[in-house]
Amino acid sequence: MALFEPTILLQLLIAGLLTGSLYALLASGLNLVFGVMRVINIAHAEFMLLGAYLAWVLYVYANVHPLLSLFIVVPAVFGIGWVLERTLIEHVVGRPLLTSLLATYGVSIIMVNAGLLVFASDFKSVPQLQGAIVIGELAISKPRLVAGVLAVILTFAVYLFLEITRLGKAVRAVAEHPHVATICGIDVQRIRMLTFALAVAMAAAAGVMLTMIYSFSPDTGADFIQKCFAIIIIGGMGNFLGAFYGGVLLGVVEAFVGGFGTTQWAEAVAYLLLVLVLLIRPTGLKGMADVK
Amino acid sequence: MSRFKALLSMFVVCVAAQTLSVALADSKEFVVGASVALSGKYARTGQEQLHGFQMWVDDVNARGGVLGRKMRLVHYDDESKPEVGAKLYEKLITQDKVDLLIGPYSSAVTMAASTVAEKHNFPMVSSGASSAKIWERGYKNTFGLYTLAEVYMDPILEFAKNNGLKTVALIYENTAFPRSVAAGVRTKATALGMKVVFDEEYGKASTDFSSMILKMKAIKPDMVIGGSYLPDSTAFMRQARENRLYAKIFAFAVGPGLPDFGKNLGADANGVMGNTQWEPELKIPGAGEFSKKYKAKYGHEPGYHAGGGYGAGQVLEAAVTRALSVDRDKVRKALYELDIVTTFGRFKVDGTGKQIGKPAYAVEWINGEREIILPKDAATHDPVFPFQDWSKR
Repeated sequence: MALFEPTILLQLLIAGLLTGSLYALLASGLNLVFGVMRVINIAHAEFMLLGAYLAWVLYVYANVHPLLSLFIVVPAVFGIGWVLERTLIEHVVGRPLLTSLLATYGVSIIMVNAGLLVFASDFKSVPQLQGAIVIGELAISKPRLVAGVLAVILTFAVYLFLEITRLGKAVRAVAEHPHVATICGIDVQRIRMLTFALAVAMAAAAGVMLTMIYSFSPDTGADFIQKCFAIIIIGGMGNFLGAFYGGVLLGVVEAFVGGFGTTQWAEAVAYLLLVLVLLIRPTGLKGMADVK
Repeated sequence: MSRFKALLSMFVVCVAAQTLSVALADSKEFVVGASVALSGKYARTGQEQLHGFQMWVDDVNARGGVLGRKMRLVHYDDESKPEVGAKLYEKLITQDKVDLLIGPYSSAVTMAASTVAEKHNFPMVSSGASSAKIWERGYKNTFGLYTLAEVYMDPILEFAKNNGLKTVALIYENTAFPRSVAAGVRTKATALGMKVVFDEEYGKASTDFSSMILKMKAIKPDMVIGGSYLPDSTAFMRQARENRLYAKIFAFAVGPGLPDFGKNLGADANGVMGNTQWEPELKIPGAGEFSKKYKAKYGHEPGYHAGGGYGAGQVLEAAVTRALSVDRDKVRKALYELDIVTTFGRFKVDGTGKQIGKPAYAVEWINGEREIILPKDAATHDPVFPFQDWSKR
């Protein structure tokens, strides 16, 4: 069968890697918040859409290219995340999981409906950076390539921040044990604000790039958040790198299942993979054993 | 005790006032009831549909009403939810005691609302549903206005056949409406002697079509048809360009029919065909005039939801005029017998109330504009065929 030609396989692999790295950018933020705060942010994908809409507004009304608007949108959403953590999320940290689930679900509902009020349920997109780079038989989508590469860079940058810098170590300390972190003189609340802001800013960055790939409306988030949940469970709840591996893995597997099976099955793969990983490794690929 | 008396007397006054107003209203006007999506998913389309209803009411009353009586519209917000819609139709029929009913927006809400109307044996003109399933339940009181999903692609397939195309690649989302479109395509293609060489369903959350496109490239179909909505059709066309998928026709059910398709894709939209229920430019008597008035009143071009709202009103008006009363049985009989052309197009139903008179209109993006290409008598532009290869753009 023609599908087994090396170029086709390579094409599928590239498509999968690019989609996967965008998943990874989105999911690692969600996992970071869970790891540090034990809060599952159901509104995470809505922050992605917030980024997407800000980029769309900047493009339509000020003709700013989405890649440039990254520099405006990401800090802006970072600020929004910072304030939201202080005013709302901080109050549900340390409470039973259901409390934070309800709180973030509420945030999600408010954001979706605010989006519907302001932008209506029309689908938006930004026709920039279209087309593909063609190398011989291979065609690599320009927007997906840029999005994929940027996603890897951003995720890796945050990873380095967590591993190397003093502040990053403080974040990990809070994730490890908030109480001991406090005793060590770490301003835990500040760290949580930073973590949440960073996570939603990553989601916003994914959203900005989504504008050139896909058409979105205020309720597009639901499709993405479900996949994100599967990814962080596959990768390991609370583990930053785990979400990255999980995202890339899902992207590649989806591409191959879509290529050799049907696209319908590719959609189910996330959940099949989820069951498989849970059976073999209940804590996920890089999961923390102590997460209850 | 005095407080109780005061309350009681207030209650009595209220009831009396209401009875009086109902009695007064009864002698002077006909009441039309509808639930409209004013919040939730279809808030915007619902708003447009409501504008259509209201314009019709204003126009009818300006003409002196129907059978010498004025029309009055009673509407509630169904929040785009079937369960709320069902409750509201119950309320409209039993509490508001409306004389005439117009259906809600979307196939899902119509499914629920039509069951309530059927229970009360109350004829309802459905102004926003295109799923054939609604008319497969043996109901006698639901009258469709929209072209059915199953015949959406018929004109484009006929056009393709006439231009010598033989093979069709069919893709569609795994939800009710796209599946109906796909079923229609399979039937029509077989009837025309064309071959469906690729047939694949995809999930609602699909954002990546590259695997599908790679497989399609190996098969080289003459035309690609998508039973799709806007996000999937734009994503597919983007990736078709990226992966250099070529076909002589690309056509999608929902997507190219909306102005956003061009905004989202830019020049890549050119040459893509699609469907529309209605356009302001359609050469139907009254459509142009309606659009002009609508734009003057609401400040934007009417979409097909507005056109459908107005059309539903016209159908009711014609039925009441024919029945010479608002008696449910007479109106139902009239609705079955009607064969008229409203600003929304032809209205003619079969024995189940299913719309069979209104054709599917095909559109194509030509030089950044959405033009009606088929059927010929309604066209604003000749079809541009074949689809221009990506390398020559």
